[in-house]
Parts: sequence; structure tokens; C-alpha cells
Amino acid sequence: MDFNYDDNQRMLFDMVDRFLTDKHDLVKREALLKDPAAEAALWREMAELGLMGAAFPEEAGGFAGSSADSFVVMERFGRHLVTQPYLYTAVIGGRLLIEGLSGDARQDAIGPVIAGERQLALAAGSTHMLRSAEDTSFTAAADGAGWTISGRMPVVLNGDRADRLIVAARTSGRTGERQGVTLFLVDADAQGVSRRSFRMIDAFGAAEVVLENVAVGGENVLGPVDGGVALVELALDHGVAAVCAEAIGAMEYLIPATAEYTRTRIQYGAPLAKFQVLQHRMADMYIQTQTAKSMALVAAMSLDGDAVERQRMISAAKVQVARSGKYVGYQAVQLHGGMGVSEELDIGHHYIRLNVINQLFGDSSFHLARFGALARPVAA
Amino acid sequence: MDLSIDDKVQALRQEIRAFFAKNLPPEFARKTLAGDKLTKEEHKQWHALLREKGWHVPLWPKEHGGPGWGPMERFIWEEESGMAGAPRLNHVSQDLLGPVLIEFGTPEQKAELLPRILSSEDWWCQGFSEPQAGSDLANLQMRAVRDGDDYIVTGTKLWTSYAHVANKIFCLVRTSTDGPKQAGISFLLIDMEQPGVTVSPIYTLGGMLSVNEVQIDEVRVPVTNLVGREGGAWDITKFLLGNERLMGAWIGVNMAFARQVRERLEQVGPDGRKRSENAVLAQRVAEVETDLVALRYTTYRVLADELSGKAPGPEVSVIKVRGGEIMQNLTELLMEMAEAEGMVHPLTMPHDGLPVVAFELEHMAQQFFDKRKLTIYGGSSEIQRNIIARRLLNV
Repeated sequence: MDFNYDDNQRMLFDMVDRFLTDKHDLVKREALLKDPAAEAALWREMAELGLMGAAFPEEAGGFAGSSADSFVVMERFGRHLVTQPYLYTAVIGGRLLIEGLSGDARQDAIGPVIAGERQLALAAGSTHMLRSAEDTSFTAAADGAGWTISGRMPVVLNGDRADRLIVAARTSGRTGERQGVTLFLVDADAQGVSRRSFRMIDAFGAAEVVLENVAVGGENVLGPVDGGVALVELALDHGVAAVCAEAIGAMEYLIPATAEYTRTRIQYGAPLAKFQVLQHRMADMYIQTQTAKSMALVAAMSLDGDAVERQRMISAAKVQVARSGKYVGYQAVQLHGGMGVSEELDIGHHYIRLNVINQLFGDSSFHLARFGALARPVAA
Repeated sequence: MDLSIDDKVQALRQEIRAFFAKNLPPEFARKTLAGDKLTKEEHKQWHALLREKGWHVPLWPKEHGGPGWGPMERFIWEEESGMAGAPRLNHVSQDLLGPVLIEFGTPEQKAELLPRILSSEDWWCQGFSEPQAGSDLANLQMRAVRDGDDYIVTGTKLWTSYAHVANKIFCLVRTSTDGPKQAGISFLLIDMEQPGVTVSPIYTLGGMLSVNEVQIDEVRVPVTNLVGREGGAWDITKFLLGNERLMGAWIGVNMAFARQVRERLEQVGPDGRKRSENAVLAQRVAEVETDLVALRYTTYRVLADELSGKAPGPEVSVIKVRGGEIMQNLTELLMEMAEAEGMVHPLTMPHDGLPVVAFELEHMAQQFFDKRKLTIYGGSSEIQRNIIARRLLNV
């Protein structure tokens, strides 16, 4: 048993950390958010560094030793408050390409992603934060050798920057049924695609996506026709593990930052850190973070194993990390007082992101239900 | 023991409801209830409508143009305003400074300043907190040095609500460094529309602008702008904070949030099922609803004590802590139930053509993150617990 990074992961960690320390902080992020060209340039640099490749196994053209390598990248992204769509493009989109395509088609689709030339977004489900794919916003009808897709989804995460949309459309059955959902790779510039861009509260980009009779060829189907739900579930499990890592990066930053603030902030003639109630609060933040970190690591290491065990551990991790993240973020803000709610400090931005992570890919009620449904005797 | 509220007060509640139903512009209520902000002009419009009815300064006695309400009537007003989504923008002038001037102001100050509040000509903001004086308010450093018939004032106020729409500020200033910290603090009225006063916005989570930094650099303020005696601000401050002591419960506003939460729970979610079928969610909603009922009756209990002549004491801290926590929980539920649509950044939404998400959902995330301040400002929850421990438990 080993919960530590291996040598390659350690190198990856150091590289990402150096890069982000140099290229990314709150001030630089504000500038990036206003400058699409600069965001695109940063994305290319990240690809040149090999970050996209860290999400793909060697047989798919990347260099990941295991799916846990993305943990390293996402953990550092969480620490540095990165809003670049690695999660949607490399982790989730990438997983769908790996599992949903084969042969040359797969390499043709993955190559540009690893090279940083193409971004992806998953348009699945309805109005929830990518929980599952059986509630569909789109319908697709067979049309000769291809398909015609129509529908509207109000919030597609990274829909604003994606070059390719992975659209979950109903091809048979009724909304809510597992069978009958098919995934399509749709060019975002295709005839009939319209998008309106905006940002989420955590500054990640998104778009409303409307498809009006968009024609796609049969070669653009990902995975089996009518069998897209399981594929999305797998990809979202990778997404959960990734945001768990991201949350750990944020939490492990917030604790020392809060401790430092309370050591330097003087009220009533003493540093805040001298008040025992605040010491205990920070100790609780630590306790929450440690239990969450254990589960985030377990989640990462469960990705490539048995499917049922993967789902159980992913759900257990999501519940723990979401709860801990909300607590740690809330207390970090509380102990920073007014400064905690100011946009000038990164503390509040981390708190916002931790709350969004709570909602992403199934909230706690969703994952508790899924964990319960897969329950096994504890000893097993 | 008796839970009933007397008929006269009940009649007033009905009268307030009927007035709102007839006069409150639906667009104002809609904006307020959806977490959006009204403009200053919109607020003035609402102020004018209330003025016709004589309800524009609900805390003031009749002789100064108020309705002359007692604590119960004022509380019912708060509840009904909150529930109806009535805007409440110039609260600092009407509810905080007005009563202070009536109690402590000179005849000249009253004659000059009260009419300007009544007419909504003056918008005051409150300069209390400073960079080094947050929880520890008595540590404030803004200094006022006597020079002939003036004070010369220099210093920085922080987290000043609505300074960006105000034309005047009342400040706690240090007029002496001798003796106990509290004894050297004075209450001074300062015109903001003059050189030396600089207002800089502070954006808070979700891009909200409601607080500011106010810098005052060698500004001359006539001694006649002093309220009360020099060094006498601490008692005035206690009086002022006392006037909003039951405000921290936010009963009416919380009830409006709870109504929205319940409505959304009973709606059909994106999966085609009623949200209330989600047992975890239904239980969370019921839990915060029971929290709110308990808070409401705790507030009534303090109010009843007050009506029977007992001075409200530190038990008000219970109300402040719970009021903030409950509003955080309610706005969290509203945001989470709106799922992805409740997580958008309202300042970035396209408004060409049909809305991307419904107006009622656009501000849910911003609203939730904005409410984070409730357990920090006006004496943080930690400070409130210190008060309870020290003054009620003698520990």
C-alpha cells in the first residue's frame, strides 16, 4: 500500500507547480479572463508541457502511467485556482474519446487534444451540473448513414471554448431511461449550432448550446448507439476523482493561509491565532482535509479497477470531499473576516470553487444514493 | 402564557399587506426577491410611495414625521416588508442615523438634517470599521484634531456599505488617545461631496458591489457636526446598534426565502420528478423551516420581554447568530436546487433574445455567496458567542 506519488508523479507535480507559480495567480487570472487570446496561449503552453498527455495512457498517445496521474495535475490546479478547462477537455472529454472510439478514428480525435489544438465539452443531461446522461436535452434521428440532432441545453460547461461538443442525445426510448442515449462528436462550428457564452460563478466558461437539425455522420458516434449512459458515467467518475484532487489542492492551501492570517491579524491586542476557539476551528479544518485527502487518493487509485468498486469509492470520496471542502472553505472565509469575502483575496474564490465542486457530477444526495445502492458488507 | 398577537397589531399587519399588494411595484418585489439590486432612482420611487402613506421612516416618532410605532408594530413592519420583497435601500439614513439624531442631535441638527432624510435627499453611510478595527471596533484610528471651530479629520473607513451611493457619512473618530479607548471616540457627521473624501469600491464574492473603502484626508468638519458630546460616541453607538438588534434575525426576509425554497421543492426538477421525492432534500428543507420557526419565536420572546419593560440584553446575540446561519442555509438550498442554472455568474449573462436561465435563478449563486458576510459583519458569530459567554454565563 502506498499513498504517495511515484517518481514520475513527483516530477509532474514539480513541473506543474513551477509552471503555475510563474504563470498563474489571482491577478493574472483576472487578466486571462478578459483576454481570450492569452487564455488560448496559456492552453497551448500547458499542452507543450505535456499536461494534456498526462490524462491519456501511452496506447492512446499520451504518457499517463495510470489514471491517477491526472490527480497530480488537478491537485496543483486546485492550489493555484486555475480556471482552464483541463477537466472538461482532457479528463472527461479525453476519457470519452478513449473509451468511445477505436483505431485511427480514435487517434485522429485524441491527437489534437493532446497537442492543445482542440478543446472539448460534454453536453449531457439536462440542467444539472453533469450528473448523468439519461435525462436528455437533445434528440437525434437517423438520417441515411448519419444523424440529425436538435435540442437546447442552457449550461454547457466549457461550451464557450470547445471546438468539439460531445452531445448526449436521445435516439430511442424516453427521457430518464438508461437505454436509448447515444453520444455524438459534433463540430462546434457546424451548420445549425449556436452558442451564447457566459461564465459560471467560479469564473469557468460555459455556454448555452442550441442545435437545430445538425447533421453528423455515423463515424461521429462515440460508443454504442443507444448505449451512451454507461460511457458518460465512467467519464464522470474520472471527473469526480479529478475535482476531488482539485479540492484537496485548495484545502491544503487554505489551511496554512488561514493560519498565517490569524498569526498576523491583531485584534484586542493579540493575534487572532491566540484565541483557542480559532485554533480548534483550524484543527477541525485539518481533520476534514485529511479525511478528504485519503478518499481523494482512493478515488484516483480506484479508476482503473473493478467497475462496482470504482463507483462505490468514487461516490464515497465525492461525499467526503464535498463536505470537507465546504467546511474548510467556509471557515477559511470566516477566519479571514471581511477580507475573506473580498474578491481581492484568493480565499473567497477558493470557497466559491469548493461550493461548485460540491454540485459538480452529482451532489451528495446523488452519491449517497449511489453508494447505498451498491452497498457491500463492510468487511468485503 | 399566550401566543396570540393583539387585534390592533393584527389589523396593522393586514393593512401593511393590503398596502403592499396595491402599491409595491411588482418589478421591485420581483427584483428584491430574486436577489437583484434596485437602482437609487427605483428606491426613491418606493420611498415616495411610502411617504404618501407615512411609512417611509418606520422607526421615527410622530413628531418627526414617523408613524410613531412601538417595538411590536416595527417588527411586524419588518416581517411584512421582508416577506413582500419591499426594497430597503436607504436603511442607514432612515433606521440608523435618524433615531440617533432624534435622540442625541442638537435642535439645529434635527431641523437641518431630518427633513433631508424624509425627502430622500440625503443618503448617509456609516463609517465604523477600519483596517485595524473590525471586531475590535474601539481600536479605531481615524483622528479628528480640533482646530478653531473645526475638526481636521484623517483616516480610512473600510467595508462601508452604500458609500458609493451616499452623499454623507457619519463616522466614529478618535478625538483623544487618553484614557480608555472607548472614551476617546466621537460621533461626527461629514459631507462626502468635498475634496479629501475618496470612495473606492470593494467587490465581494460574486462581483457584488455594496461595500467600499472611504478615505478621508485632512478634511475640515465644523464642530457643530458633532453628535452628542466629544468622546461620547460609545453610548450613541450602543443606542444605534440597539435599534437594529432584532434586525439580525431577518425574519421577514428569511420567511420570503423559505417560501421560495418550499415552492422550488414542490416543483418538478430536470429529471421529471418532483424535487420533494428526494428524501434527503425534503428533509433538509424541513429542517431549515423548523430552524426558522424556532428563530421567529425566539425573536418574539425577546420582543415580548421588551414590551413588558425588560431591557433587551445579550440574548439578542442568539438571534444574530441564528438569523445569519439560517439565511445562509436557505440561500444555499435555493442555489443548489437550481442546479447548473443556479451557478451562473449574473454579471456575465447574455441578455439578447430569450434569457439563458430564468431571471429568478440568475442571481442564486451571487446571492448565496453574498450572504456569507452575515456571520462576519456587525459583530461576527465568534464575537456574539463571546458576549453570551461573558455576559450571560459569567465565564
